[in-house]
Amino acid sequence: MSVELLTAVLFGCILIAFALGVQVGLALGGIAMLVGYFTWGDAVFNVVPTTLEDNFFNFILLSIPLYIYMGQLLTRSGVGEAMFSASQAVIGRVRGSLAISVIIVCSLIGAMVGIIGAGIMTSGSIALKPMLERGYDKRLALGVIMAGGGLGILIPPSVPMIMYSAVTQNSVGRLFVAAIVPALLAVLMFIAYIVISCRLNPERAPLMTEEEQNMTGRQRLKRLRDGGLGLLLIVAVLGSIMAGIATPTESGAIGVIGVIGAVLLAVIYRRFKPSLLRVAGVETTLLVAVAMWIIIGASVFSNFHLLMGIQGLVARFTADLGLPPWGVILLMQGIMLLLGFIIDEFIIVLMCAPIFTPIAVSLGYDPVWFGILMILNIEIAIQTPPYGFALFYLKGIAPPGVTMLDIYRSITPFVLIKLAVLMLCIVFPELVLWLPDRLMGPG
Amino acid sequence: EQTFNWRFSNLYSRGTAYAEVYENFARNIETMSNGRIRIQVLYAGEGVGQTGVLGAVKSGLVQMGAIFQPAHSGEIPFGVVEIGLPGTTDDATKLSALFHEQGWQPILEQAYNQQGVEWIETYFQPAVYVLTNKPIRSIDDFKGLKIRAPGAYGKFFRELGASPVSLAWNEIYTSLATGVIDGSIGSNLIDHRDGNHVEVAKYMYPLPVAGAQAMPIIVNKKAWDSLPEDLKAIVKTAGARHAQEQLDKSTVWVSQAVADMEAKGLQWSPEPSEADRQAWRAAARKVWNDYAKGDKISAELVKILEASGAAH
Amino acid sequence: MLYSILRCWCQAVEALVTGLGRLVAWGVPLLALVVAFEVVSRYLLNRPTVWAFDVSLFIFAYVGALGGAFAQQRKAHINVDILYLSVPPRWKHVFNLLSYLLGGFFLVIVCHLGWGKMEEAIEFDYRRQSEWAPSMIHFWVMIVAASAVFLLQLSSDFLQNLWQLMTGQPLLDDRETGGSA
Ligand code: NA
Ligand code: NA
Repeated sequence: MSVELLTAVLFGCILIAFALGVQVGLALGGIAMLVGYFTWGDAVFNVVPTTLEDNFFNFILLSIPLYIYMGQLLTRSGVGEAMFSASQAVIGRVRGSLAISVIIVCSLIGAMVGIIGAGIMTSGSIALKPMLERGYDKRLALGVIMAGGGLGILIPPSVPMIMYSAVTQNSVGRLFVAAIVPALLAVLMFIAYIVISCRLNPERAPLMTEEEQNMTGRQRLKRLRDGGLGLLLIVAVLGSIMAGIATPTESGAIGVIGVIGAVLLAVIYRRFKPSLLRVAGVETTLLVAVAMWIIIGASVFSNFHLLMGIQGLVARFTADLGLPPWGVILLMQGIMLLLGFIIDEFIIVLMCAPIFTPIAVSLGYDPVWFGILMILNIEIAIQTPPYGFALFYLKGIAPPGVTMLDIYRSITPFVLIKLAVLMLCIVFPELVLWLPDRLMGPG
Repeated sequence: EQTFNWRFSNLYSRGTAYAEVYENFARNIETMSNGRIRIQVLYAGEGVGQTGVLGAVKSGLVQMGAIFQPAHSGEIPFGVVEIGLPGTTDDATKLSALFHEQGWQPILEQAYNQQGVEWIETYFQPAVYVLTNKPIRSIDDFKGLKIRAPGAYGKFFRELGASPVSLAWNEIYTSLATGVIDGSIGSNLIDHRDGNHVEVAKYMYPLPVAGAQAMPIIVNKKAWDSLPEDLKAIVKTAGARHAQEQLDKSTVWVSQAVADMEAKGLQWSPEPSEADRQAWRAAARKVWNDYAKGDKISAELVKILEASGAAH
Repeated sequence: MLYSILRCWCQAVEALVTGLGRLVAWGVPLLALVVAFEVVSRYLLNRPTVWAFDVSLFIFAYVGALGGAFAQQRKAHINVDILYLSVPPRWKHVFNLLSYLLGGFFLVIVCHLGWGKMEEAIEFDYRRQSEWAPSMIHFWVMIVAASAVFLLQLSSDFLQNLWQLMTGQPLLDDRETGGSA
């Protein structure tokens, strides 16, 4: 079977399985093995053990349980809630203020984590509840989490950027600096969207509760103090990375210990019970298991597809089409968006960076610029329907009753914003290159 | 006439300099066999991860693989001795004699055979060096440094008074930048350049931690046995040619990598004193003894190594 | 008679999975402790451990893999529910049965291949490639156990759906299906 036909068959089967409502991870793994059995024979099953080992012994993924646990503890101890109350006390008079705070907090979390799953699931654990409790529109709340949580790979440190630099021999530092302006741009556009959308549809984001409006100065101060503690914790975690105490992966553990310490000390919250550790542990276990079985099934699927030669198809397809330079860049963006349907952020970089970057450079484009486009693109690719890792992570932390359709609808405006940022960076390369050129001299 | 379709997993990302050498190896086999063997080359991350190559070849998921033995030291502990313990020579002639004349090859062929794979050839990749964020003026300066060095290299640095740290490869850059670690080894100087480590740590120690890395090409046993004799000979010949190409190109690429890094500010720590060299060798010998105690095959290999020219 | 046998089977599976899930959940705080210990030991005492790296990965694997059955019991696994939500209940049961068959197929493969790796690990005494080099045997035993327990949980869900499809009555009531955390 040609790889083109195989790809079509695989996608057909996936659509059917997804329509039946099969669990995502099991569906991907099951279909890859079933189709593999009929095209390759039972030797294809040997893809399973190496895939299991690769994923369970991947130290980078360890940040997933650590950060989720930190998020769960923050929420269940009331620290997370206090953080958002404090921000309400400050900017509560702006409609959509809570969503804006969420974006800002998510950016800070994004600065801590280097992979997408950890970013979304941590932000979701902390920020979703406060928004829903205050009567925010479900879709706005979910969209904000996804938009902010995805910033993890755009705001340094970022694992995919490190991989891109290694594969294409570019400066990691330069790439990290180059990402700052596009990241700020994305954050500002998210905030602008929230403000405008909430002004047009006031029911999406209720203003402060009556209690919050009638606060005395003293109550206000107390809230600020309580929320400050939560913020202090985030600063401490970031500090542990910047001071060289812990790696970004390990810093989740510092966060966990920090939360426990903060909660134990801060009697002010009066919500700490030893059972908190257990309940948060159960919740984290469920989320980690969900994420890992998706990752396992999806890796089995993409490993099978790669062994059958999908990467060759991608290479041939880009090389053979005689397009103008900007057309080639756009085509590559399109291919990466499509690949986001089936493979995760790391494999996209591993596969596309070496195939695409030399072509882009030979057309006269800057490899650092191209790398940032790739990161922006991946952020979009993994959250586009029907299949995208980030969507499933978001569904994992969403309350029961939130359907996949809700998720698709909720992310649409934010995906469009990210697409706009991508297009702006394509049209105005200065957005990416100005800061690194300014700080580090022309590359 | 029967044609054989093989998959070949190697260690490098698509598009890197070394990736091309493996690609050439595959194309050579195809040409020499008049297309009777067809080979699909799979680069790093394409279906099989680096730690999965041995398992994939054993199980027949891929027919041929280039493995990095330290990634499989839990399955083939002798592989760590094979690739080159700290303190071994960088003289390719001596190393080649060790394998082909002094008795390593038959031992390794048998050892790999027990694992269900055929050992086709060995090829040499360049020396392993350690990069630090402070200059090392005397060997005592290693004391207390946190150095990312896995396996045998870690043991070696512990002998020198440093603290070996375990980190994922993707974390080296950030960890050097923030000071989580003070230094890191790379699989060779090219690896240090590709990882951009010089941006965050500038000093290279002039003594190689290991003189060269001897790595094997292995083939799944069943796939090998199903080849007619003439094709086996072709694979072996192409293997020998591949080893030569690795050697020729490595020399060029290493000097290129060093030039690239020096342009970005790489500095060599001062030339070590004779006493430092002695201490360096003594630490290496301790590690050899450690590995010789580990398992029977390693013991045999170390015994031959100690008596050979490669030990000096 | 058949009713009681099936009920017994399902109740036993549900109890097993609940117990296992709660046990595994303690791995999460333990994981945080281990990683924090490594950080403290490295940063404050300048003595990185040889074991924390592997131990943290093992705990992560145990939580992730063994938690699979637990997540199945709590219906936490993610599916694309667009069509699923719009079909009548009877069809939902049919969809579920097909889902469990496909998922079960994959898990049988995981279990079978895991078993093979376990035998290999025992025969050759496989270890981790780190300096500490802990045994890998328990990891593969755990993978076999995790996929087997996941399969058991699927069998319970399968029977419950089949029973309800045939008789229109639930086999277990809500309290018995691990509904309470
Ligand atoms: Na980040
Ligand atoms: Na997608």
